[in-house]
Amino acid sequence: MKKLLFNVLLLGLTVLIQSHIGSPGVTLEGEAGPYALTVVVNSPDVIPGTASVDVYITDNTVQEVKLSCLYWFAGAEGTPRADMALPVPGEIGHFSGEIWLMSPGSASLKIEVTGERGNGEILLPVMAVSTAQKTMEASLGWTLAGLGLFLVILMITIIGLSSGDSLVKPGQVTSAKTKRKRWVGATVGFVLLSLILWGGNAWWNSWANDYQRYMYKPFTATSSVRVEDQKQVLKFEVDSVKLNQLYLTRSLNYLIPDHGKIMHMFLVRAGELDVFAHLHPQRLDSAHFETIIPPLPPGDYHVFTDVSRLSGFSETIADTVTIPEPDPNLTDNWNDSLLMDTDDTYYITDPVISGSTEVLMPGGDIVVCGSPGQRIMLADSSFVTLEQAEEGEFKVGQLYHLTLAVQDETGEPATLAPYLGMMGHAVVFKEDGSVYIHLHPVGSYSMASQETMQARLTQESGRIDWNKLPKPSVFRDSIDQTIAALNSLPAQKRDSALLVGMNHPSLDDPDHPDHSIVRFPYTFPTEGKYRIYVQMKRNGRILNGAFDVEVES
Amino acid sequence: METLAPPIASTARVVSVSKQTSIPVYLYATVLASISIMVGLVWDISWHTSIGRDGLLSPPHLAIYFGGVLAGIFSGIRVLKISFFGTQEEQQESIKFWGVFRGSLGALFCIWGAFAMLTSAPFDDWWHNTYGLDVTILSPPHTVLLLGMITIQFGAIVTVLSVKNRMVSQGVYDDQYKKILGICFALASGFVLTMLFTIASEYLGRHDMHKTTFYIVSSLIFPLLLVAFSRAAPGKWGASSAALVYTLFLALMVWILPLFSAEPLLGPVLNPITNFQAFEFPLLLLIPAVGIDLITQKYSEKNSWLLSLVYAGVFLLVFITVQWPFGDFLMSESARNWFFGTESWYFGSSPDWEYRYAYADWMVSNGTDLLKGLAIALLIGFISSRVSIRWSQWMQNVMR
Repeated sequence: MKKLLFNVLLLGLTVLIQSHIGSPGVTLEGEAGPYALTVVVNSPDVIPGTASVDVYITDNTVQEVKLSCLYWFAGAEGTPRADMALPVPGEIGHFSGEIWLMSPGSASLKIEVTGERGNGEILLPVMAVSTAQKTMEASLGWTLAGLGLFLVILMITIIGLSSGDSLVKPGQVTSAKTKRKRWVGATVGFVLLSLILWGGNAWWNSWANDYQRYMYKPFTATSSVRVEDQKQVLKFEVDSVKLNQLYLTRSLNYLIPDHGKIMHMFLVRAGELDVFAHLHPQRLDSAHFETIIPPLPPGDYHVFTDVSRLSGFSETIADTVTIPEPDPNLTDNWNDSLLMDTDDTYYITDPVISGSTEVLMPGGDIVVCGSPGQRIMLADSSFVTLEQAEEGEFKVGQLYHLTLAVQDETGEPATLAPYLGMMGHAVVFKEDGSVYIHLHPVGSYSMASQETMQARLTQESGRIDWNKLPKPSVFRDSIDQTIAALNSLPAQKRDSALLVGMNHPSLDDPDHPDHSIVRFPYTFPTEGKYRIYVQMKRNGRILNGAFDVEVES
Repeated sequence: METLAPPIASTARVVSVSKQTSIPVYLYATVLASISIMVGLVWDISWHTSIGRDGLLSPPHLAIYFGGVLAGIFSGIRVLKISFFGTQEEQQESIKFWGVFRGSLGALFCIWGAFAMLTSAPFDDWWHNTYGLDVTILSPPHTVLLLGMITIQFGAIVTVLSVKNRMVSQGVYDDQYKKILGICFALASGFVLTMLFTIASEYLGRHDMHKTTFYIVSSLIFPLLLVAFSRAAPGKWGASSAALVYTLFLALMVWILPLFSAEPLLGPVLNPITNFQAFEFPLLLLIPAVGIDLITQKYSEKNSWLLSLVYAGVFLLVFITVQWPFGDFLMSESARNWFFGTESWYFGSSPDWEYRYAYADWMVSNGTDLLKGLAIALLIGFISSRVSIRWSQWMQNVMR
């Protein structure tokens, strides 16, 4: 019963927005040529529609910021003239504009910056899909109903008068016959209008059904745990439904690795959010994935998996799974080398305490560089501090650079190594499971999508020739081989291979000489209690930590 | 004394229709509204084909709103004026409704149209937010808008006709009025014809001209309008003059719009154009319209059912004889110029499409399909002509 309730609850919460859940915005922290910038895109929930774009640039010599939208299937040639993002009055360095997303699919926002230091541009992947079916607000509904009723009554009047009174010569009195004709006309008009309204209603319904049919529907999956060779194996089967549209764009046959992995899987124990695992399942075929899971505490778990495609389309496939009490044998025989992927990791900590405003964490509250912060100790005795919001509390809808200061055991700036090509990863969960997002210092978009789009726009022009796409089996094999080759590299070489083309602006921040700094740009979508799991690597060891924040409206 | 009688009678007649002897400004306003709406609509279609992105207050939208507002306000004021401050003559010429109001039928049509257009605005806005921005002509809120527009245009026709019919019944309908009202009717009816063509244009394009659907749709809408126009118009060439207005207007739009530069602002752009893309070159309706007028002139008193068959048969035969080969011509190299404007192509469609200037197999009806389709077209044309004859009787009698 408990499991059933849990699943029902989850079903209600799986309002998926592409490569994350519950956070409609996409953020990017990066560099357009010489200009460091942060970009926040709020995609429309209905396509065709417009996305609002906010660009924040620290360089005050910037003269012009231009935005354009590129579609993967249309290529650079199919992109219309860029639109200007206009400076926001009173906010230096803040430019605002909008882009029109007309077709569903994998798109990219191009931001071009012109200033005294020359020109620069950067791409931010945007998944253009309709995700919401809206209803009409009562006020508008009543207004339209009122106007509609007026139109119906007036038209019945007109039809009645047309058949009767309008034919009477000026000055003549309206006869009983005319009156009768009027009423007959009005009755016929009423019947006709009723039929038209009935037809109109059916038409509207068919339109709504079509919209539903082509609306973005997340893939669903079935997860199961079994014991095999003294190990717990989690099988993740994606329900291969026939897609009504974006058949190739979202095809599971064309998965590409993101950070060197075909799939990133996050497990978090529901409710308490106290158990966290970041795993990298292996692909059995296009829809089946498997991974070995450590003997995690029993319970119901959220399963979130992120995948990216050749088209640049990235999305999250979510499910739930119940992990049983592990057999003592399993626990006794376990050691971390049994994990399937060298980059797999898990972490068990205190639960988020519901209803309590006090955040219980290992470590205490401290002040870092003048800002209050929460500090925790990591497994290797180094410290991470999360800087608190300037106004004391995090607010909904406001862009934050979640800043982590890292010090080693002695209080000196810690030397971090890249983990999966990044100086840090953060995974944000809301207590009720309605928000899940995987963040990097560069933002909340899929790096693989960005690389795909970059390659698409620089190496070729014109539209995609669907017929020239490699066969699914050939493509899958070549990707599997690439991943296997990457995995066989020594850790350091693999990390440097994944690092190619990525810059890491967060590490050498002049404002924080005493720490290593990792920053994650993010906007909290709704109020409530959030847990942020952070992941970093130091001296060859993956380190996990957790922070809780309360977000106010 | 008897010699004085005619002048007295004449004076009395003039007095009783004193307001009628000058054509009301209101009539010109409704005709102008009809033109403005049509210019705006064709311009708007061209805008969507060439630029793609628009706002609530885009120039074509303003032309449409202007038409709606003009007709709505003039009609609304006229109804209020006649209801509460009207002269006895004005009240006698109007219809009383809902116990307190008085107005002409034409004004009521225009008011209805203006309200329908007004209603469509918030409905369309909600529609965009719910199902996405415009990608089609025919959606429920657009249909409400189109119904509003066409009702205003119909109001203009009714207004012209009622003025004409009153003048005829009062014996003041002279050549000068005949000429002015004839022009007004030609404009009002020509723009209704253009409007219906525009609404049905998804079935009436260059690529449809060898398909029976084209002739079925044509037989449904064109005889319905042309027969009634032919029979009810102030002059002898009602159908021809409406078709002439339709032809000139659409041709002018084909010639004028591409003179202005335009750039697609919505991606993906598959056809990077630099000028406004023209709407359709007019169908050769003028030729069957002349046929319809000739039938009206010679046989209008014949049995209505028989006459309907003649109208429908002549329309279909003449129309297919000229339009089918004209379709071939429009696909040819010779039509790819400013005059015929067949190079116009939506920015979001691939310009390299193999059938851009050719009929694919599935676009051509032949054999029994063709015969069956034409038989259906004839039947529909027959019904639509019969309805039209009945409608024209009403048009000849509408007084208020």
